[in-house]
Amino acid sequence: MMDDLDALFATARSADVQPSDALMARVMADAVAVQPKAVPLVRVAAPETGFWAGLAALFGGGGVLAGLGSVAMAGFFVGFVQPESVMALADGWSLASTVETVDLMPGVDALLTED
Amino acid sequence: MARDTLAEVSDEALVVLYANGDPEAARLLAQRLLPRILGYAGRLLADRVEAEDIAQEAMLRLWKVAPDWRQGEAKVSTWAYRVVTNLCTDRLRARQRRRTEALDAVAEPEDGAASVVSGMIEADRMAALNAALSGLPDRQREAVVLRHIEGLTNPEIAEIMQIGVEAVESLTARGKRALTAALSGQREALGYEEAE
Repeated sequence: MMDDLDALFATARSADVQPSDALMARVMADAVAVQPKAVPLVRVAAPETGFWAGLAALFGGGGVLAGLGSVAMAGFFVGFVQPESVMALADGWSLASTVETVDLMPGVDALLTED
Repeated sequence: MARDTLAEVSDEALVVLYANGDPEAARLLAQRLLPRILGYAGRLLADRVEAEDIAQEAMLRLWKVAPDWRQGEAKVSTWAYRVVTNLCTDRLRARQRRRTEALDAVAEPEDGAASVVSGMIEADRMAALNAALSGLPDRQREAVVLRHIEGLTNPEIAEIMQIGVEAVESLTARGKRALTAALSGQREALGYEEAE
């Protein structure tokens, strides 16, 4: 009887169960309804860099550039107006020893003298 | 992706493609899995309409789990069989609670229709087998159908039923013995007397 049973199993295995078109349609409708939508790749335009933005980026940002500009203006102002207090300070530094000439290339004659 | 390109792709890869929005992957998956789980559910429930509901529900669960599918953990077919097994178990329990007449009607093989036309004999045999399967305890029926009709290995069945391999072997052995006993009284109806 076991052989008969195995024969029955074999027959059952070979029986092809095909889903009806209606079932397939229902399953596909479910699949479409819950399928995650593919996210399309979108080209993102690079931000346009103008002259000032480029310049600021060159110096490390707008804040740094503003600081540099302020310092440059202050230096120009001091140099142009030459306030007395600043000049006195500068004289104090430079008048300690007056150097008339600076020999940047001293001669080597002393070393070359022949006995 | 084109259909011929997908034909060789594994079920697991198709699930990932589906989750990525490939429209053709779902159709191929349904064509591969639906006949198998529909046949399996039909044998567990002995009711075509209910089996179709279960198969549709199992496929819906696959669509929903697809974005979180982790490749390499389980075969898609094994996963689907497990879902169908659980859904059928729930359905059978509900059916037992309601004690509908449908189960009784399915459990009785139609003796009167036997072997009038030779082409009918196979259908009668299948009806007798299904009736005998319906008489088995649920777990034995699941194990016997998965092993001997769906043709799965014992480790696969163990994974589907979430039990040990030894338990699967025990269930299939007991199920076959019970089936043999149930069918022994129906040899004539099955047409074996004619063949011998």
